[in-house]
Amino acid sequence: MNQDAGTVESRRLGLDAHGEARKFVRLLQCSQCARPYRSPVTLPCGNSLCRECLPEAHEREGISYPDIPNRRKGIQCPFPSCEREHSASDCNVDVALNKVMEVIAEVFARYENIISNKLRAQGDTDVQMQEQVLGEVLDEKAESETSLPRGRLLAAYILAMQGQLSLDSDTIKYDSGTAAESERSADFTMMHDISDTALPQVDCQVCYNLMLDPVTTFCGHTLCRVCMSRVLDHSLHCPICRRVLALPPTIGLHPNNKTLVDLSNTLWPDMVKARRETVAAEEQEIAQGDMNTPLFVCTLGFPEQPTFLRIFEPRYRLMLRRCLEGSREFGILMYNRYSEPQGDLGPVHFYQIGTMLRIVRAQLLADGTSLVETVGTERFRVTRHGVADGYAIGNVELIHDVNLAEEERIEAAETSQPPPADEEDVHAQIARMPTVDLLRFGQEFVRRMQGRSANWLQQRVLDIHGQPPDDARLFPYWFASVLPISEEEKYKLLDTRTVRDRLKITAAWIKRIESQRW
Amino acid sequence: MTAPLPKRIIKETERLQTEPVPGISAQPHDDNARYFDVMVQGPDGSCYEGGVFSLELFLPDDYPMTPPRIRFLTRIYHPNIDRLGRICLDVLKNNWSPALQIRTILLSIQALLGAPNPEDPLNEAVAKQWKENQGEAIKTAREWTKLYAQPKQ
Ligand SMILES: [Zn+2]
Ligand SMILES: [Zn+2]
Ligand SMILES: [Zn+2]
Ligand SMILES: [Zn+2]
Repeated sequence: MNQDAGTVESRRLGLDAHGEARKFVRLLQCSQCARPYRSPVTLPCGNSLCRECLPEAHEREGISYPDIPNRRKGIQCPFPSCEREHSASDCNVDVALNKVMEVIAEVFARYENIISNKLRAQGDTDVQMQEQVLGEVLDEKAESETSLPRGRLLAAYILAMQGQLSLDSDTIKYDSGTAAESERSADFTMMHDISDTALPQVDCQVCYNLMLDPVTTFCGHTLCRVCMSRVLDHSLHCPICRRVLALPPTIGLHPNNKTLVDLSNTLWPDMVKARRETVAAEEQEIAQGDMNTPLFVCTLGFPEQPTFLRIFEPRYRLMLRRCLEGSREFGILMYNRYSEPQGDLGPVHFYQIGTMLRIVRAQLLADGTSLVETVGTERFRVTRHGVADGYAIGNVELIHDVNLAEEERIEAAETSQPPPADEEDVHAQIARMPTVDLLRFGQEFVRRMQGRSANWLQQRVLDIHGQPPDDARLFPYWFASVLPISEEEKYKLLDTRTVRDRLKITAAWIKRIESQRW
Repeated sequence: MTAPLPKRIIKETERLQTEPVPGISAQPHDDNARYFDVMVQGPDGSCYEGGVFSLELFLPDDYPMTPPRIRFLTRIYHPNIDRLGRICLDVLKNNWSPALQIRTILLSIQALLGAPNPEDPLNEAVAKQWKENQGEAIKTAREWTKLYAQPKQ
């Protein structure tokens, strides 16, 4: 196997294979029977124990939903940190941990074989050899006669196998004899052997890396936490056995597989570290890279107006999760259904100008979709765009209004134009109206429509968007949020630089509505 | 944006080269490691026997969360493959799982050549022929294989 963290010689272990042999073997011991895990089950609380050591299932009480036959049986969790009742159907053999334990058992068996063959060859009279390999448990005098093969690791493992190494016994008296150095090297060789042979068993089947923060499903399958949450974005089924995952809707509530975490930190500490750094760097790249604005191509949003979204597409679930962990902001863009050219970007699938939305509230529903309440902040233009994990990201520049002096200058220039040649020219009239009149024109229209109980001004709408604002800067955004006209028409508001331009657009809409041309 | 190639794709590609599947090859393009030229041999005993079919396979940006996109480039007479080379195969759609891989998908496609399923057709005309006159359909499939799917020198 070609591994990231180098060869056996250079790979670091998380503990001293010789000096901390007892500590390592403890990681392999079931807390219930003190033997190395046999067909381990990892419980929903992240603790593991042998399948045989599962407490007897009892009929669960007070549970009427979901009334599935195999969920009626419960198990009282024996771990003091949990003590909850787990559904018996959620307690299945942990496939990865089981394989790791099998591999470790094979490695030890191999060394034991080599040693016992050697012993046999040298004959039982070779006292010195026997002394070398002798180990005994201090606090269990009865076992002091047990003859054990070479190395502390193997000695402790075999004691555990025989059920003679209680979990809390810290001291094993190893007979260091004359060849302490060879024992030490035997321990290191064995430990590296375990590290090598167990590694393929903790390969995540989604990312093909060492599992980082392993999460074990109730069906007994394990993936990295990040991979599991990506899978959940797409499907509620286990990718390996296709059973319904039935994990909590937020994977964050599901604990890591504690035993696998401890073993990984011990056997492959550098790989765990490297993996964690890579994952962090990837997230960082997406959060702070050149194209760092997540883009949701969906609909129009307006500054300081609420937008409610339902996020159900897998790629956008991931985007939402990243946003919630980061800046809580993303850009919303309208879908370019007619493939109109968008400046330098060409006929991309979105309109080039959008609005940044800040997440006010996000509610995750049981089916994995989310209801998101947002409020618009700034407008922006996409200058470059790319893709991250299926959703659009981009480099954006914010669009700001001109300053007040410029706004005033433009108003003065426009209102001082001579009257239009054609008195019927609506646009020419609008262009000459003072900014405040343009606002009033809009507000009066709204009032008139309210008087006529227009549908789009029902209480329900006003509850969401509020009363028409007096702020001329915001009135057009509010108006566009409630007025039932085409999105393409509303889009014009986003590419404005003056309050006055926006009010002219809304005034033109009103003129068109009043002349019944819509 | 050209994101670095995920470890998974690198490993899958490596394994396709080092442990090739008999009768199947997949070669990534030099300029696009997500785009593969695929060759699948018609299974022995099937009406595609002796044929070498080329396909194109593309790993989308969110692979393996979404399945590879794959289609036949060689013309083929098959009830589950349409005129554009698109393939009707459950594991390429709803039954995709990120635990599957390029290798397993190509094996499924090879198996589909060995077991056409006119009950779940993508190509209605071919499926109809397959159901009404299987002998004739198989004959056509053989002819097409000779005509379009001969290994290039
Ligand atoms: Zn528990
Ligand atoms: Zn046990
Ligand atoms: Zn993973
Ligand atoms: Zn499973």
